[in-house]
Amino acid sequence: MKLPRYQLKAEKSLLVFEFVSEGPKGQIPKLVKFTETNLKGLFNLAFGDKDQHTDEINDSVVSNNGDSEKVLSTVVATLYAFTDKHPDAYVLATGSTKSRIRLYRMGITKYFDEIQKDYHIYGLRNEAWENFEKEINYEAFLAKRKKTIKFAL
Amino acid sequence: MNIKQLNKSKVPIVRIDNSLEKFIKIPLFQDKVDKANEILRTVGLPKLQTTKKHHR
Repeated sequence: MKLPRYQLKAEKSLLVFEFVSEGPKGQIPKLVKFTETNLKGLFNLAFGDKDQHTDEINDSVVSNNGDSEKVLSTVVATLYAFTDKHPDAYVLATGSTKSRIRLYRMGITKYFDEIQKDYHIYGLRNEAWENFEKEINYEAFLAKRKKTIKFAL
Repeated sequence: MNIKQLNKSKVPIVRIDNSLEKFIKIPLFQDKVDKANEILRTVGLPKLQTTKKHHR
């Protein structure tokens, strides 16, 4: 990824990542977590601000730290790191509000040309998954790292 | 891999911090996980495409 991103920390299973957003509002620690759902091998991706004093996570706050692109680029980087360790995992993401889902869609759109080389990306619309297309509003997103099958002829 | 290649890599360099392990067991973002489970229950998964490369 050529876009700037923050330095990442994670525990060794690469399910939980932390980075620090830097901007006009100061340093805001962010936590990204991949949580396995009821379906084995399918993980929910979510992130939010970490309170430095209580370690509580708030995923509905709007930080307005002027670095949303760098934050999204860093979250995309966690997807690469996570699927490097868990290559068969599906990763699903939903937003807590329509505006947050729209933000995710804008983020995927921005990096789509890059990430579609490495991932199958789907959007959920009208209770069905479809191949992700830019400019369409989806309710959720699903990513699966591509596997290249080589046939020798 | 040299520094130039590392900087261009899509997979980031990740520093291991064991203090983050405590967040694995804490049920964070539970509303989103519940929503994901509901989507999986009602919609399921898409049919995967396969990328095929033929080599001669």
